[in-house]
Amino acid sequence: MTHPDSISSRGKRSASGPARHHRGHITRRSLLASAALLMTTGVAGARVVTKVLPWDPNEAYPVVPVKPGGYFFLTSEEAAIVDAFVDRLIPADDLGPGARDAGVTTFIDRQLTGPYGGHDWLYMQGPFSATPLPSQGLQSPLTPRQQYRQGLAALEAYCKTSFGGRGFVQLSTGEQEKLLTGMEKGEVKLPNFSSRMLFSAIYSNTMEGFFADPIYGGNRDMAGWKLIGFPGTRYDYRDVMEKPNQAYLLPPVGMQGRPAWGER
Amino acid sequence: MSSSVNGASRLAGPARKWWRYAIVLVGLIVADRAMADPDNYVDVLRGKALTTAGDCLACHTAPGGKPFAGGLSLATPFGAIVTPNLTPDEATGIGRWSKDDFARAMHQGRRPDGSYLYPAFPYTYYTKVTRQDTDAIYDYLRTLTPVSNAVNRNTLPFPFSIRTSMLGWNALFFKPGRFVPASGHSEEFNRGAYLVEGLGHCGACHTPMNMFGANKSDQFLQGSRIDNWTAPNLTNDQQAGLGKWSVEEIVQYLKTGQTRTSIASGPMKDVVEDSTSKMPDADLKAIAVYLKEQGGSGASAPTPIAGSDPRMQVGEAVFVDVCSACHTRNGNGIEHIFPRLAGNAIVRQDDPATLVRVVLTGVRGAGTDAAPTSPAMPSFGYRLDDSQVAAVLTYIRNSWGNAASAVDADMVKALRSKVAGPAERSASQ
Repeated sequence: MTHPDSISSRGKRSASGPARHHRGHITRRSLLASAALLMTTGVAGARVVTKVLPWDPNEAYPVVPVKPGGYFFLTSEEAAIVDAFVDRLIPADDLGPGARDAGVTTFIDRQLTGPYGGHDWLYMQGPFSATPLPSQGLQSPLTPRQQYRQGLAALEAYCKTSFGGRGFVQLSTGEQEKLLTGMEKGEVKLPNFSSRMLFSAIYSNTMEGFFADPIYGGNRDMAGWKLIGFPGTRYDYRDVMEKPNQAYLLPPVGMQGRPAWGER
Repeated sequence: MSSSVNGASRLAGPARKWWRYAIVLVGLIVADRAMADPDNYVDVLRGKALTTAGDCLACHTAPGGKPFAGGLSLATPFGAIVTPNLTPDEATGIGRWSKDDFARAMHQGRRPDGSYLYPAFPYTYYTKVTRQDTDAIYDYLRTLTPVSNAVNRNTLPFPFSIRTSMLGWNALFFKPGRFVPASGHSEEFNRGAYLVEGLGHCGACHTPMNMFGANKSDQFLQGSRIDNWTAPNLTNDQQAGLGKWSVEEIVQYLKTGQTRTSIASGPMKDVVEDSTSKMPDADLKAIAVYLKEQGGSGASAPTPIAGSDPRMQVGEAVFVDVCSACHTRNGNGIEHIFPRLAGNAIVRQDDPATLVRVVLTGVRGAGTDAAPTSPAMPSFGYRLDDSQVAAVLTYIRNSWGNAASAVDADMVKALRSKVAGPAERSASQ
């Protein structure tokens, strides 16, 4: 299946090609030629599909699997705070590993490095409401990268001031939990940063990392899916529906398979 | 357009009148030329039908090129051969060929000047076509609009570039001669034989080749590999051939591109769409009757690989997770959309090339007027590595009553390098 966005990006690429080629020394002729090209490719871009849907062999849009190891956006100090933070949100217990052990910090780091981190796909020009309705969604000029960088710095400064020079990582789990609860309610006043904004960013990214496909760096060994019994990327359950009240015993499977597929 | 209109309107008085007559006159001359040909409408139509049965279009049209104008590069084991222009263009097509010239090419594989054609042009089959039929095909080709398309006809490397070498090849592998009906067989069988052994040239793909690129006559229609696709066994063999297919199913497959449980794809998709789906039902039935009479090698079915084999275990896990949503857990598929894998003739072929290819690149099924959906399978080459593809195919080939050799990961690797990539993508469009 070809998605609408892939059609438009294809059109865009072919339309901008010639113009880019002539950048630097635009003559009248090249301008006319590229204008003509733009007009013709513009027409070609609006593809009319008749008879059968388009199909290409080898067509796939695979995700580049995240390789754990190191951080691309977070500093090691920031990563340590995020590690401690997500470990309080989903701690390891007898039900399985927690968010930190499932690679959520790596997931967050890679997401911040990519287009999500810059809100590349969102409208990011104002006006922003200071007192938005919940239905108004995002109301901040800060991208996720800025939220993490400024928010974590503010949190660390707050801890140093409020806990006798200790940083967030040095706090006891009890202190951390109390602090997080206060941040969630917006009762903690971080210097020049909304504690609630930082909390909600890390909280939602933690949920995403813990339950997204392991290919994105979190949910290691499908720990999140095993916890809640989600079967993964299978997509037909008619066999199962024909057997009501019977336990679903198949282990979860990710984009990259599962251990039974053998070593890669 | 606009400039010629302006030009005409600028002509004054008598000159303008003359212009009008000239237009009428040109029209008359053109019409006269067409009408001057003998009244051979019936022959032309018959020739068109025969051209369809021979699927001449498939090889004699370049991707995106004008029909019958040639230019398709055929990859043979000896090098690329570019197909010639069949339109009646005098300089680049066969406009100067006589009926005798055309019949000689079809029956003897020779050009008007006597030089040799390569057997990539299946004259080894066309030699069986009656003179009446080659004449009708000639008549039809003469009605095509001439297309000027010069084709490089000498692309084979030395020593194959020496066309005279075909003299020896012909002596060894070419038996010229028109079709002779087999006595003791029905008229229908013989019609099928005439089509399959002659114009249809089914054996060109479906018969194994020897090292000289000649079809092995003692293994007629027993399956081969062409262009990295498996051309399956078409004999009535129970294990690898059409033994489990009824005459009706074969007709339905050729007519619509599918049966309830299987769908034509790969090169056969084109054959069905361009050729067999447009053939008369009676001819398709004759082909089916003939094929069902072909004895296979009679090789006994291999023993299925045990489910406890590690390859089968991995294969089952991949099948359950990736394939079973469409092909269903018991391999039955969904009629007319997702082919049945249990008992599937392609699945049981000794050569798994088509299966490997289908999993790696995905595949699109035939779409015909009768069954226009043209269902497609997505590519899994990005998700499964070579050993996983090998394992899942080994599992499919040895489950639900299927039994066939295991698929080797190195074979998958070799085929992947040929079919999975941008080149393959553009070539198929």
